[in-house]
Parts: sequence; C-alpha cells; structure tokens
Amino acid sequence: MKSIKKIIIAISIVAGGVVTSCQKLNVPPKNIFTSDVIFNSQAGIQSFLATLYQDLPIEDFKYLPSSADGSGSGGGYGFVHGGNDWTEFYNEAGAIGEEVGPWSGFDIGGGFGFWPYGDIRNVNIMIAELPKHATQLTQAGVDAILGEAHFLRAYYYFGLAKRYGGVPIITVPQDPGAPLATLQVHRDKEQAVWDFISSELDLGYKMMPATSDAGRANKYVAAALKSRAMLYAACVAKYGSTNYVDGVARSSGFAGIPASAAAAYFQAAYDAAKLLDGVYSLYNATPGDKVQNYVDLFLKPNSPENIFIKQYSKANNTAHSWDATMSPRYFTADALSRSYPTLDLVQVWGNLQVTNSDGTPKRFDNRADIQQGLEPRLLATIYFPGATLRGLTFDMQRGIYPSFSGTAAAEVAKQPNSRSYILSGDTKTLYQGKQVIGFTGPWTGGDELTRTGFYVRKYVDYTRLQATVGLNSSVQPWIDLRYAEVLLNRAEAAVELGNTGDALTVINQIRDRAGATLYGSIDLTKVRNERRMELAFENQYYWDLKRWRTADVVLDKAHFKGLMPYYIFNEDKYIFLSEPELFNREYTFPKQNYYEPIPGGEISKNPNLLPNNPGY
Amino acid sequence: MKTLISIILAGMAILAISACTKTDNYDGPNASFQGNLVASTGGNLLTSGGSTQIWMQQIGWTVPQTIPSKFDGTFEDTKLFKGGYKVVPTGGAFWPVYDTITVNINNGTKHDFVVTPYIVIKNFTSTLTGTTLTLKFDIDAPVPAGMPTIKDIQPYVNTTRLVGTGASIRDFSDVNAVTINKDFIDMTPAEKSMTLTVPNLLPGRTFFVRVGVRLSDSFNSSNFSEIVQVNIPK
Repeated sequence: MKSIKKIIIAISIVAGGVVTSCQKLNVPPKNIFTSDVIFNSQAGIQSFLATLYQDLPIEDFKYLPSSADGSGSGGGYGFVHGGNDWTEFYNEAGAIGEEVGPWSGFDIGGGFGFWPYGDIRNVNIMIAELPKHATQLTQAGVDAILGEAHFLRAYYYFGLAKRYGGVPIITVPQDPGAPLATLQVHRDKEQAVWDFISSELDLGYKMMPATSDAGRANKYVAAALKSRAMLYAACVAKYGSTNYVDGVARSSGFAGIPASAAAAYFQAAYDAAKLLDGVYSLYNATPGDKVQNYVDLFLKPNSPENIFIKQYSKANNTAHSWDATMSPRYFTADALSRSYPTLDLVQVWGNLQVTNSDGTPKRFDNRADIQQGLEPRLLATIYFPGATLRGLTFDMQRGIYPSFSGTAAAEVAKQPNSRSYILSGDTKTLYQGKQVIGFTGPWTGGDELTRTGFYVRKYVDYTRLQATVGLNSSVQPWIDLRYAEVLLNRAEAAVELGNTGDALTVINQIRDRAGATLYGSIDLTKVRNERRMELAFENQYYWDLKRWRTADVVLDKAHFKGLMPYYIFNEDKYIFLSEPELFNREYTFPKQNYYEPIPGGEISKNPNLLPNNPGY
Repeated sequence: MKTLISIILAGMAILAISACTKTDNYDGPNASFQGNLVASTGGNLLTSGGSTQIWMQQIGWTVPQTIPSKFDGTFEDTKLFKGGYKVVPTGGAFWPVYDTITVNINNGTKHDFVVTPYIVIKNFTSTLTGTTLTLKFDIDAPVPAGMPTIKDIQPYVNTTRLVGTGASIRDFSDVNAVTINKDFIDMTPAEKSMTLTVPNLLPGRTFFVRVGVRLSDSFNSSNFSEIVQVNIPK
C-alpha cells in the first residue's frame, strides 16, 4: 500500500512537470541588459557611457605608466580606478627627470600592455545600435551621442597609436562565432590609424553640441584632442623619419610615417586648435596675485580654462591620493611622498641665483629668500624652501656646516667623507641647539622626505585641513585638456609651419598669465621650453620627449640634480648647493622604446599582429 | 559489509596509485645552439653586457627569445627545444643584418654569424704614469659611408675581467668619457687617433680596462677594444 502511494506521488510529480514544461521560455532574461533597455533611454545610455568614460586612457593622478618595479602595489597598472589607488608617486614625471622617485631609472618604456579592444567593442556596439533607436531618442539625440561615441573611439585609438604605432582598426563589433581567420585581424599602418583618429574627431566635432556636462565631451573637446593627436602624428612623421630603430614593422609602415605627411598633420593640429579660439580662456580670476592665480587654476571648478576634466568621488570609491602622496607626512594625516621635482626642471626657468660671481655660495639670511625674483608660475608649480602649506613651513635643510669656505663647485666635487658638513638621520638631532635637517628633509634614510630639496605644488589642495589629508580622500578633478595646452599645441604647430607671428602671440598670452616676462621673438626651443614649464607634472613631457624623438638624447646615462639647502652655523646664514639628487639614479632611454612592444599575450592570441615593433 | 568496505578501499588505492603513473612524454629543452659573432675584419666581434644578442624565434611560435653575446663574441644556449628557428644577430655596433636565417637546432648545433662592425679599434695601448692611465687607440671603419654618428668615446674600468657597459666603475669610466658627435667620414686622420685618460686610480689595486666607441645607431651601441689588465703599484 505504501509503495502504491509513492508511485502515485511520483507519477503526479512527473505529470505536473510535463504539463508545466510546455510553457515556452520566451520571458526576457532579467539579468541581461538587452540593447533595447540600454539604448531606448538617456538613462540607459548614460550608464553605458559611464564605463566608457571611466576606461578612457586619461593619464590622470592615478595613472601608473608601467608594470615594472612593483609600482602597482595599490592595485593594477595603467589606468586604474579602484578604491585604493595610492601609488601616485610612480608617475611618468619620476621616470624622465621632471622628478626623481621610486622608479630605479627610466623603467616605463615597456608600458603595461594597454589593449582596450574590449572598450572599443562597446563603442562599436553603440555606434551600430544607436541609429536603430531614433524614434525613442529623436534624430538629434542620436546624432549627439553618436558624436560622443566617435570621440571616445578616437580617444582609445589615440592611446593605442602613441604607444604602438599601427594597430588593427576595428569599427564594427566582431562576431565571436566568425571563423578565426576573420577574427585574427592584421595591424593597420601607423598613418592609417592617425588618419582614422583625425576623421573620428572630425565627426565628433560635427555631431556633438557646443556644451556638455563636466566630464563629458562636446565638440570643442574633440577639437582640443585633435590638436594634441595631430601634433603627435606630425612629429612622428617629421622626427621619427630621422631617428628610428630599423626593422620589418618600420619598413611595412606599422611603426613610422613618411616625412612628407608631417606638414599636413601640423596644419591639422593648428586648425583644430584654432577652433577653440574665443570659446575658452586662460584662468585669470586673481591677476593681482599671479602665484595664487596659477595655484587656483588647478583647483577651482568652473574655470574657463577647463576643456575636459575627470572627476573623483569618495562616495563612489574613486577618490585619489594626490594630496597625501605629493607632500610629506609633516603636512598630511597619513601616507608618504616619494617623488620630488629636480633642479634640472627648475632650471628650465633659468638658473637660480645661488652662487656669487667668484664661485662662492651666495649667503641668504632666510631660506625663503631663495624665492625672490622667481616667476610666479614656478613658485606655484613647485614648493621651494620657505614656502608654507596648511600653516607649516617647508623647512628643507640638508645639514649644517659649522663654517664654510671656498667655492660651491669645489665643495660639491669633494668625496662625501671629506666634506665638513654635519648630517643626520633624524629630524630630532640637534647641533648646538639647532636642528640639523629639516622636518621636510632632504634625507636619505627613507624615501619619504625630499631628495632634491623640492616638492610638487601643482594640484595640491592647500585649503584642506591637515587631519583630513589622508589616502583616497582627494577629489580635485584632473584637467585632461586645458586651454593652455591647446595654445601650446597651436604655437608648436605654428612654429613648425613657419608662422612665428601667431606662435609669439599665444606664447605671450601664456607667459602673461604665468607672470613671466614676455618674449619679443619666438623659436622652436622657446615653444618647447614653455610647454615643459606650463605642463610640468601633467604627464605630457614623456610623450613630448617621445614624439620629438629626443628622449634618447635627453635620457642618455642622465643624472639629475637637486638643490640642497645648508645652514652655516658660525655665520647664521643659509646657502644652497647644486648637487646630484640623493637617490643618485641613472636614466637611459633605449631607442626601441619610442614604440612599446605589442603585448605578448595578444600576439599569442593573434599572430597576425606580428611583426612586432622594431627591437622587440 | 566489512568485505565491501575493504574492496572499495582496495579499489580506491589502485586508482590512486595508477593515477600517478603517467609520465611526461614531451622532451625537455635539451637542444643547444652556440657559435661566434665573427667580425668581417677578422676575429670575433668584441661586445659587452646588454645589447648584443642572437634573436631567435621557433617556427610555429610567436614569442621570440634571445641569447646574449658574451664579451668575447661567443654565444651559447643549452636549454632550447629542438626544432627549426629563425635567427639573426641584433643589438650591436655592426651594420644591421635584416635577413633571418633558418637553423634546425639539435644537440650541439653550431653556427657562426659574420657581421660588419661600424668601428674597429686598432693599436690600443695603455701607459700608466703614477696613478694616471693613458689609453691611446686609432679607429677605422670598414664601411665609412652612411655610418651612424660617433657619439662619444670612453674608458671602461672595472675590478674584474667582466668590463664594459653596465659593468664598470662610474667614477673611472663614464666620468672620463669624451664627447665626439661627428661622422666618421668627416673626421681628419688626426681626429681618428684618440686618447683617453683615467686619473686617480687607487694604488695597489688591479683593474681591467678597455675602451669603447659609442654610435648613435638604433641601440646606441659601442664597439670595444680588447681588455687589458693594469696593476697600479702601491
């Protein structure tokens, strides 16, 4: 009897199952966003765009240019946007002599295997899908967002082209089911990639509106990026055709552009920059205090100079750590600084007056006096001895000389053990009641105090209270494109095209705002130096060195210098000696690094990416 | 019941043991490749640490590998997989070789590459006066036309026989470099006769010394002299 009951139960379960199983499973899956869900509404599109913007290769505060040297201990490499990205001092500036820091030399030439074809696929999907949703979005709405998509695609390809030269141009989403031979695409020529970037940005300029929310592109953002990209292409054509590493990739056009193309690219850069004329202007809210004005330019929202910014938020776990990692603990709540501006960078502004005509070091009553007569922009870019932050003073002092005689050069040439200075491994050490080294260094016992006598000031938010300046708490936006850069792009292209008149005008606009003396004439060297000064620490100089093809000359067993302040006890004066920076690192740029190697993992998946760039 | 358990246990034991008996039937990297970089001007191409290497790619694979050249211009790798390889010498101060050749690498495969150096260092002499070492040499170029610019010349001083770029004492070596920045073809015979000095060597020590001529080629590579031993008297 029992078993019959069991059988009945079993049968009814099976029968129930059979009956209900006939219901067709045509319910849309709840956990997958179909294209209708995303592309039928502005909200859906915005969330789709958010990822594409977040992944853009913007070299911001958090950008880690290489996977060498354990730089990514706070997260990944490259364009990181996690919740704990605090290795800001592993920056480009520290590998090329704008700063010296934790890189043990020029360690970033190999890159980190940037390969954003996942993001490019998403843009491609967007470009393919959007026109199908014109009823919901209106034709104008579709066009505006399509323009944005073309801009985004250009930005990704720019990130690829400046690293690898020619890469495959993929404009439609690949079908994963397609035969392998179709999926394994070949590299396109470098020139084709730059031309593609140019036409994409033209589309972006044509289709996007003139204004946008902060952090999103508009037509002028596309034009500004075009001036940057075309300048890069022009220089690859002009300078890459004389200074190069030979190889199959070069002779096939994957790495290199014919020199004859340079003029057209310079013209394109110039024309694109001109489009912004009168739309943006240099930040000049407090012209009476040019130092403060230049400091605020990087911190004030709604600056008329900001063209394209990247924003951060503590709530979204995207805050950065610039404030906590550019200044030493003396000014912050936690964390450390580890990379420091070089005297070589400071000297781009001109030599500091620290030596008398007889070669003896000039005596200063006060260490802050070193700042006298310096250009406001320089003081706003770098913290000099005697500067103040959050009520505390940058009291850089390398040591004490009980007495000092002779010339600066002779003193620096001596072996360290025959110099009569007193150094200390601790800020607490006193010499006859005087502190031997400053609270802010320089010091060689650890990395956390300056090794050059300087600290970075650009972008440091001076308004925050010390107790709040911790890791992952900075939210000042990164200004990816600002009008000063566009003017510099324009001036450089103008000089290369022989239009020195226009170059002089725009360079003097920049110099006027910077508080520098105006130029009466202009040449390429002046334009390039202006760029170094104006865009210091903004992750531009590395790419400038690469496109000018001067990196192997500038970084040829290069050693950089610092400015060491000393107190002379018996005179109660300060002197400043130009000495090798205290890491004593050597920087050499191997020529093949003008291009990065195509990532090995990608070549394994797709051997058609060969030949790799010359030298790899 | 007991028997059932023991049978199951026995069965598991047999499976467990037999599972481990599979052997790796793929040959280890037991092939080798060695040879010389022969200078077309005679003798081996003298090299240094770093750049000069044999670039090789196994046919059917995508990732290339390299064998670095030793200081005397020989190379050897004894842990290669058997097979066909495309090989080419690269990264040194010699006229670039563009054509890879295919070598079937087996146990003890030997191959010599002939390369044309940019610069040949001749009549290399060293004289010691007190603690100052004077190094004299002449440079010659087998193919003067179209050569990369000569950047600089410098002594390399080290305390071991391994001396060259990346293996030298900076204060005796890099510091005593002399900038040239001239094309060989534009140099007068007098300019091709060169002198370098290394002052303030430490008394009572033995140093190994050579000179290098650095060119602005793709690799900023140098041609080197042979290595001489210098004893500084106490």
